Amino acid sequence: MNSLLRVQAIAENTFREAIRNKLLYMLLGFGILMIASGVLLASLSYVEVDEILQDMGMSAIRFFGTGIAIFVGIGLVYNEVDRRTIFTILSKPVSRPEFLIGKWAGLVFTVWLQLFLMALAFGAVSWLAGAPLGVDHALAIAMIGLELMVLVAIATLFSAFTTPMLAAFFSVGIWMIGHLSRDLHALGQQSDQESVAMMASFVFRVVPDLEVFNKTLEAVHGLPIAAAEVGQACIYALGYTASTLLLGSMIFGRRDFK
Amino acid sequence: MTGERREIVCVDGIVKDFRPGFGLRRKRVLHGVTFRVLEGEIFGFVGPNGSGKTTTLKLLMGLIRPTEGSASILGRDVEESEFRHQVGFLPENPYFYPYLTAREILDFYARLCGVESTRRAEQVKNLLEVVKLSYAADSRLRSFSKGMLQRVGVAQALIHDPKVVFLDEPMSGLDPIGRKEIRDVILSLRDAGKTVLMNTHILHDVEMICDRVAIIVNGRIRHQGRIEDVLPEQDVSVEVVLARLPAETADAISEDFDVEMRGHSDRVALLVSEKDVAAVLEAALAASAQVVSVTPHRSSLEEVFLSAVRDGGRAE
Repeated sequence: MNSLLRVQAIAENTFREAIRNKLLYMLLGFGILMIASGVLLASLSYVEVDEILQDMGMSAIRFFGTGIAIFVGIGLVYNEVDRRTIFTILSKPVSRPEFLIGKWAGLVFTVWLQLFLMALAFGAVSWLAGAPLGVDHALAIAMIGLELMVLVAIATLFSAFTTPMLAAFFSVGIWMIGHLSRDLHALGQQSDQESVAMMASFVFRVVPDLEVFNKTLEAVHGLPIAAAEVGQACIYALGYTASTLLLGSMIFGRRDFK
Repeated sequence: MTGERREIVCVDGIVKDFRPGFGLRRKRVLHGVTFRVLEGEIFGFVGPNGSGKTTTLKLLMGLIRPTEGSASILGRDVEESEFRHQVGFLPENPYFYPYLTAREILDFYARLCGVESTRRAEQVKNLLEVVKLSYAADSRLRSFSKGMLQRVGVAQALIHDPKVVFLDEPMSGLDPIGRKEIRDVILSLRDAGKTVLMNTHILHDVEMICDRVAIIVNGRIRHQGRIEDVLPEQDVSVEVVLARLPAETADAISEDFDVEMRGHSDRVALLVSEKDVAAVLEAALAASAQVVSVTPHRSSLEEVFLSAVRDGGRAE
């Protein structure tokens, strides 16, 4: 119970710090602008106007949500060490995993709040343009929320042991590979060389399969999203996040703070 | 156990190596450091810059791990975290979240320490009074001077009423009044039965308030023990300053005693052996001289410290 209260205190403080980050507002502003500009793009077409509008909107939510998760997340732990605020925190009865989980939880809450604001903008633009809105749209956006949760865990992991620059490089790389890992895996399996197939299989297993969380196509085209898929995505997100934070805690636990 | 008092901090043969850069070469900064801090005492940990004081303190706070050796506080391994609600720590030049107020930051640390919500506000208010920051309780820390941040640092170290307090350069950045106030806070901690370990460069403060001391030079403990034990045994000389001492009495004192005399008849300073002080004063008073001051002179901690640093340098 005490452990939860300590994590909550760190998470709340992380939230207070994150909402002071100007980058967050810049990315949020651009995100909303991109969602709104879907109206312009859709007006260039005579067919599938609503689909273009909503496809653009959801892509903007995913892209800028990812930007916030990664670029705020990479400095999460690094800044605490660099500014030496971590000394007074870890000298209290706070374990290193509690600290890391608190930082992660605080940023996830911040990112989800931004996601909610972008979802409101998406809903408002769709409503004004007369595009259909349903539960599937909400589900697809919630799935983006799961993806962002995983990405914050990855950014936190890298932030726990490397500089923001390298953490950004690694996190963006994993995000890009994560959306291509299914294709890479499929390509690898078709290769004549066993080593290539093994490598593709290894990458597929280690790097998160972020396409699990991509239900934009289904939502925009009115295709059903199966409850089982949502359930599997939830379990996958929780499992991957827990594993990433566990690895981060192990690495962070061995660090010396000079 | 040492005597009747419990050993609160035990440091046994701590060795710490750092690896500068990516190379395989290691730099040893602590060479088998061993010392004890006893219950209810103020322990001074002194040494020149780069001697390993802060490294030792970080090790005790679990911020770095020892390469060899072990350390415990209140019988618990320093790598554990749960027992730390009994430990307070002020790092050197503390830095805090600038967007929080003094009240908010102390409330944050109190939450981390599990201070009950019903007691938190009262505890924060009391500590702000103790460190004389009540007037700035609701100001953001970004507007605080270095001395004010140091006071916040002291307050956060005490927010959960710990049994043991570790202070790294507690007087740093403080003006003379602030130093006196923090010194009084440290003394009040000892009066309340707390144990204090203090890293400092200011030897005068150590002599004034510490019960025991350890001097560390180049990662090795050179001296440790009670201050009077650390100072070398010597014949204490006493400086006696007299006014209106007649010339013939001055000559008689010079002949009868082994004294060093400076000054003129209006005001004379005599350096006398401790055993002769009473007789010299008797002779001076009999000649109607006025006693201005009587000051014992002994080797100071500073001399011991400088000698330890010189010896340490030669040993390297």
